[in-house]
Amino acid sequence: MKKILYFLLVFTFGLSSCEKDDICDANTPTTPRLIISFYDITTPSVKKSVTRLKVTGKDQPEGVIFNEGGTEITKYLTSGDSIAIPLKINEDSTTFSFILNSDSSNPELANTDEITFNYSRQNIYVSRACGFKTIYRLNTQNPFVKNDSGNDGIWMQDVRVYNPNIEFENETHVKVFF
Amino acid sequence: MSKYFFSICLLFTVFLVQSQEITTDTIKKEIKQEKPKSKTTKAVTETIADSVPVKKDRYGLRVGVDLYKLTRGFYDKDYKGVEFVGDFRLTKNYYLAAELGIEDKTTDDDRLNSTATGTYIKGGFDYNLYNNWLDMENIISVGLRGGFSTFSQQLNHYKIYNSSQYWGEIPPVADGTKYTGLTAAWAEVALGMKAKVFNNVFVGFGVQLKMLLANKEPDNFENLYIPGFNRTYDGNFGVGFNYTVSYFIPLYKKKVIIPETEKKAPKK
Repeated sequence: MKKILYFLLVFTFGLSSCEKDDICDANTPTTPRLIISFYDITTPSVKKSVTRLKVTGKDQPEGVIFNEGGTEITKYLTSGDSIAIPLKINEDSTTFSFILNSDSSNPELANTDEITFNYSRQNIYVSRACGFKTIYRLNTQNPFVKNDSGNDGIWMQDVRVYNPNIEFENETHVKVFF
Repeated sequence: MSKYFFSICLLFTVFLVQSQEITTDTIKKEIKQEKPKSKTTKAVTETIADSVPVKKDRYGLRVGVDLYKLTRGFYDKDYKGVEFVGDFRLTKNYYLAAELGIEDKTTDDDRLNSTATGTYIKGGFDYNLYNNWLDMENIISVGLRGGFSTFSQQLNHYKIYNSSQYWGEIPPVADGTKYTGLTAAWAEVALGMKAKVFNNVFVGFGVQLKMLLANKEPDNFENLYIPGFNRTYDGNFGVGFNYTVSYFIPLYKKKVIIPETEKKAPKK
């Protein structure tokens, strides 16, 4: 019986040391962002990098940050071939302005297109520490509405929904050809 | 927070053993002082019978209530609960033990707020490790229990975790969904002590380590608190604590056959 007592003491020590704290692990998949990949319109299988693209949500003063380490201007710009942008978790549509060649030395080159994404939302339980996450599904009818904003022509020649279920960030949801 | 709780529990267990040892010493002394008194008065009449005193153990039912749960409702607005405890002495060291309780607990985490309401029953046995002197009836026990709870859980409000704060912080989402018909079963190891404070009234402390065996979880949510099992963790483990006051109802007495009093003296 004494052995059992010692065992229990050790057991209690063990429990107290391996207990997790209540901080949501950054690697836990939580609310995903919309992943847009850019492709070449002439050879649609080839990814193409954008130049100095700035994405701003409607009625937001600042753009979406793509480059954490950048300066006041460059942190909002990306020249990669895919972007991740956050959708609203409390509304069923989100509108963004996509400004190509933003902040260029020649303002004439800047071209703004506006896209409204329409989707349905679902809140999914994650864990005690993380709470819930929102996943989205782009509508089958009118998943997005494309507008030319600023009368400078449309630079996004074709936009296609590749995966309407926005659940993870490791896959492309929308393809843009230009 | 719970890390401290464990440490406190550990401290408690140490103290329990210690304090118990001290009391035995003092009582031993008292008995030694008293003995000559009775001998002087009855020395002539009981010269033969006195040589081996007949020791009798009392057997019966002990019923009580957990004061920790009962009083917690007064200072913790998120908690209401009561637990009744009972045990029945089967043999010299074995006790049949059971606990019956009802709890209503609101768990307020950073991102979730939920209320669990339900009843539970636990049954098993306690083994008394403590060798009592003469007619003492103290208990230091190790026991096993099986526990079962039936409960409901209401999700009051929650926050959505969004790594991007671009659209601003969204206030907690009010939900109010009630998940009913939930059940859970677990096993627990119970460490406890009970001391007779006067007459048939006992005061006891207990610490329980629990292991969840079955847990019926709601869809799109989790059992954050199970009545009787307490807070759930990532794994299957849980802990519990109680502070009981109980009353012993003596039913019958049994003779102790072996004159163990001499043998017991070098304790431990």
